[in-house]
Amino acid sequence: MTTSTTMPRGARYRFSWIGMIGFAIILFWAIIAFLAPHIIPYPVGEIVDEDYFGPMSSKLLLGSDYLGRDMLSRIIMGARYTVGISLAAVCLACFSGAAFGMAAAVIGGWFDTILSRFLDALNSIPSKLSGLVIAAAVGSSLPVLIIMLGVIYIPGAYRFARSLAVNVNTMDYITVARTRGEGIPYVVFSEILPNIIGPLLADFGIRFVFIVLLLSGLSFLGLGVQPPYADWGALVHENIGGLPFGAPAVIVPSLAIASLTISVNLLIDNLPKKIRDRSA
Amino acid sequence: MNNKITNWTASDDAMIENAIRRGASRRELLTMMLAGGVAASMGSLVLGRASNAVAATPKSGGNLKAAGWSSSTADTLDPAKASLSTDYVRCCALYNRLTFLDQAGTVQMELAESVKSGDAKVWTVKLRSGVTFHDGKQLTAKDVVFSLKRHLDPAVGSKVNAIAKQITEVKDLDSLTVEITLANPNADLPTILSQHHFMIVQDGTTDFSRGIGTGAFKMETFQPGVKSIFTKNPNYFKGGAHVDSFEFFAISDDNARVNALLSGDIHLAASIKPRSMKLVESQPGFALSQTTSGNYTDLNIRLDLAPGDKADFVTGMKYLINRQQIQKSVLRGLAEIANDQPVSPASHYHNADLKPKGYDPDKAKFHFQKAGLIGQSIPMITSEAPTSAVEMATIVQQSGSEIGMKFDVQRVPSDGYWSNYWLKAPVHFGNINPRPTPDILFSLLYASNAPWNESQYKSEKFDKMLVEARGLLDENKRKEIYNQMQVMISEEAGTVIPVYISNVDAISAKLKGLEANPLGGMMGYAFAEYVWLDA
Amino acid sequence: MSTYVLGLITNRLGSAALTLLIVSFAVFFATAMLPGDTATILLGQAATPEAVAGLRAAMHLDEPAFFRFARWLFGLLQGDFGTSYVNNVPVAELIGARFVNTMRLAGIVTLFAVPLSLTLGITAAMFRGSVYDRVVTILTIGVISVPEFMIATSAVLLFSVYLKWLPALSFATDVDSFWQVLKIYAMPVITLTFVVSAQMIRMTRAAVIDTIKTPYVEAAILKGASRRRAVLIHALPNAVGPIANAIALSLSYLVGGVIIVETIFNYPGIAKLMVDGVSTRDLPLIQSCAIIFCVGYLALITFADVVAILANPRVR
Repeated sequence: MTTSTTMPRGARYRFSWIGMIGFAIILFWAIIAFLAPHIIPYPVGEIVDEDYFGPMSSKLLLGSDYLGRDMLSRIIMGARYTVGISLAAVCLACFSGAAFGMAAAVIGGWFDTILSRFLDALNSIPSKLSGLVIAAAVGSSLPVLIIMLGVIYIPGAYRFARSLAVNVNTMDYITVARTRGEGIPYVVFSEILPNIIGPLLADFGIRFVFIVLLLSGLSFLGLGVQPPYADWGALVHENIGGLPFGAPAVIVPSLAIASLTISVNLLIDNLPKKIRDRSA
Repeated sequence: MNNKITNWTASDDAMIENAIRRGASRRELLTMMLAGGVAASMGSLVLGRASNAVAATPKSGGNLKAAGWSSSTADTLDPAKASLSTDYVRCCALYNRLTFLDQAGTVQMELAESVKSGDAKVWTVKLRSGVTFHDGKQLTAKDVVFSLKRHLDPAVGSKVNAIAKQITEVKDLDSLTVEITLANPNADLPTILSQHHFMIVQDGTTDFSRGIGTGAFKMETFQPGVKSIFTKNPNYFKGGAHVDSFEFFAISDDNARVNALLSGDIHLAASIKPRSMKLVESQPGFALSQTTSGNYTDLNIRLDLAPGDKADFVTGMKYLINRQQIQKSVLRGLAEIANDQPVSPASHYHNADLKPKGYDPDKAKFHFQKAGLIGQSIPMITSEAPTSAVEMATIVQQSGSEIGMKFDVQRVPSDGYWSNYWLKAPVHFGNINPRPTPDILFSLLYASNAPWNESQYKSEKFDKMLVEARGLLDENKRKEIYNQMQVMISEEAGTVIPVYISNVDAISAKLKGLEANPLGGMMGYAFAEYVWLDA
Repeated sequence: MSTYVLGLITNRLGSAALTLLIVSFAVFFATAMLPGDTATILLGQAATPEAVAGLRAAMHLDEPAFFRFARWLFGLLQGDFGTSYVNNVPVAELIGARFVNTMRLAGIVTLFAVPLSLTLGITAAMFRGSVYDRVVTILTIGVISVPEFMIATSAVLLFSVYLKWLPALSFATDVDSFWQVLKIYAMPVITLTFVVSAQMIRMTRAAVIDTIKTPYVEAAILKGASRRRAVLIHALPNAVGPIANAIALSLSYLVGGVIIVETIFNYPGIAKLMVDGVSTRDLPLIQSCAIIFCVGYLALITFADVVAILANPRVR
């Protein structure tokens, strides 16, 4: 058991093997997502099996879904949506949430109060209601879906970042920096951020999981991924009837989600210390 | 429903059931089954299944628990406003109608003793005597007059306002006789009165939350969106229900509903999705009850908007839609192939000579080319709101992609679908609940001035035939006209009706006495009164 | 210090009123933007123009929506939640019992989830990098990666359908013994504990690790304080702020976000009520639910902020 206090300097650049595994799995899904249209064995909408919830076979490697469509093809195409949309949305939510949160902590006063109350209000509007309004007002498209997912999670990211930054903001070195006459952007990005990056990354990881799961919920509100395509969460949802039979149609997309989300979090936990704990 | 007959699908079951309903003899049925490849010795097994429940003796007592699929704060005990199956079930427990339809689809008398007319225009309804409401008051002609007139008042918000409008006058002749005058002759009035919305409530009722009716059950608890509990009405004029109490609520998630049945929490899970059948069939002690009553999901192409203004697009779509695949894969055989018109085989007016168009991508391509639409992207609106419409859309989309037709499937929220997209988008899906007569179907859906003319089909000839058939008391002439009208719809209208969808309720083997009814699942929603629980 | 906290709470009460007003207006405009109104939705497929007009008049929906909203808002100031458009029942009556159910479920889940998460999060931080830490991490993420409806459905299949130990439905009303309560709440509580714990565990771990690195905790360890002591006495107080915020965010989910659990177990709570309100455009009902969710959320985060200040007096 080692801690940052006793670790020799050189070790901080080491990328642990668990982090490597996480990175490799993410890379794998990214490549799948990129190549998806070229490697699917069947068109995603085509019914290739007379039966439904079919088992794994040499013809259908991952069995068939509730309509008898090829699961392997559906999962491969689903990777595009789950990986792409979720990453974009989580970046939007966490980057803007953290930036606002830190700024609010450093600037304080009215800026803090108004921004905090505004985001509290935003968080209090039921997402089903806002989802329906957006679907009715601007219709559905991938950018709308990404912005929607991002906006839903900004208040949470903001609040967590702000609470971390408020703590750090009371430290002596921040006071020193401010009396030195440093501007707000400098204080935020050079003094606060490095000191809270660890928890922020953990927050990023958890939010990524939430977004992956919420994605399927928004598809049902008529936003985003349109048939015949489906993200992984939607695949689990539409095939949940296969659960009693242990159908691969419901098990495999669940495993795909778990593999992606666990990898992202393992990677974050095991980033080289140089990136993760710059304060140490 | 654990049969071992090979090649014998649920749709064959439905065919037999319909044949029984139409009154086919046993010999005819056996011939039909032999043609279907079933040995004669097996025949009786299927028959036994299709017309089961007759032999057993009902038992009294027990608390019946059942779950429908939708319920909200909008739940109501006002029959005129009833909109969801759960409302129908509650209303059937509490109230009665003047007439009802039996298993074979024939009109039977309920609160009425007779409904008669010489000219199909002025009708005389004789009421049963000695029927009492739950609060002890006698049923009189005044109650009937009040109940029927309500539908004409727009402030009531009656669902059958469009149908009721043909009633020009309702008056009580004496305490047990009512006279109904129609704007134009309509021989179907007794059937119309069997619809759930025309249930009889007490004269002057404005607050329906107490559920005072003449029905087999009295209301004990009614919590909109949560549940309702009913107790047996000891003074029921038909002699009382078998069960002591009846609890009804909704579980909107299909899997949760099936699981609640399998765990023994409920006796009946209404309307399950085809994909849940495997699970129910794999568990001992449970069965499926199937009703084919003419519900359908249709692809609507507005004839007055592009691309439906080109007749070839519509014809092309009728060839492109893969009916077999929709029946087999989407509905797992729980459907009958339809021929693009709304009168289902459950009705004796169904035109069986009108064959459905086969799946023919080449013909479809030919028509699309003629319309100059190959290569264009055609938006197609779908939603979870109409049954299986998302799956049907993906099947059409896939068939299209194989001949170079691109369909841009847009799944929109089911919330607000009926007010926002249905009837409005150029190419979209709809879902139509079964109606007991062709006249109602045609007047609501295909007449030039029909309120839900899904494809904006307009034909003066059709309108004339509709009025002519309505007043005819001669069955054969009527059937002939209706046959022609079905051909016209099938060929000319923009509604592509791929299959008639069966309703499947999953039930515990303890629940006995459940039969199919043309008015809908759960024995036309009135099952609570008829079923019993085998301990 | 306590005067500062009192000041903060007063300040929050003031800004809460403003927040509620903003939310209320936003919900009003959102509802107004949705296609269809209560009359067209209730009539559904039977919505002919004249039927809609008639029903609208009968339900008093023909006056401008904003007047109705203003009247509702004015009523709320006097403690009146208004009357549902759909069934003419006072909204307070619709919400009453279901609100109690929601709070009861949320309370039980909190009792389980918070101690569990804090224990796992803090111990994982103490033994950071160990096998224990990794197992906790993988299990935590693994568990929330499974969609909520799948956890709930699997639990029902296992405990109700195959083992027949628990009822598949959780009607909050059929409670007559403690044993019954246990049986009814077991599955919803397990499902929701899975859902809300992960965020708390992960954030607790991250916040504690972050404070372990601060110079004075390092100094304490160098001075020979035991590892457990260093974490509990020196690091934890500094991490309380972020942890309290993470807990507040997670728990706020239990007030309005448990729609899936309510649906699958047929548990009568207010999340389903809100969904009903939205689908029937029942403005008083939507507004009242939104206000309740908002109040719950504001209470939780204010509590978190107060805890943060009490734990770290330098934050002013």
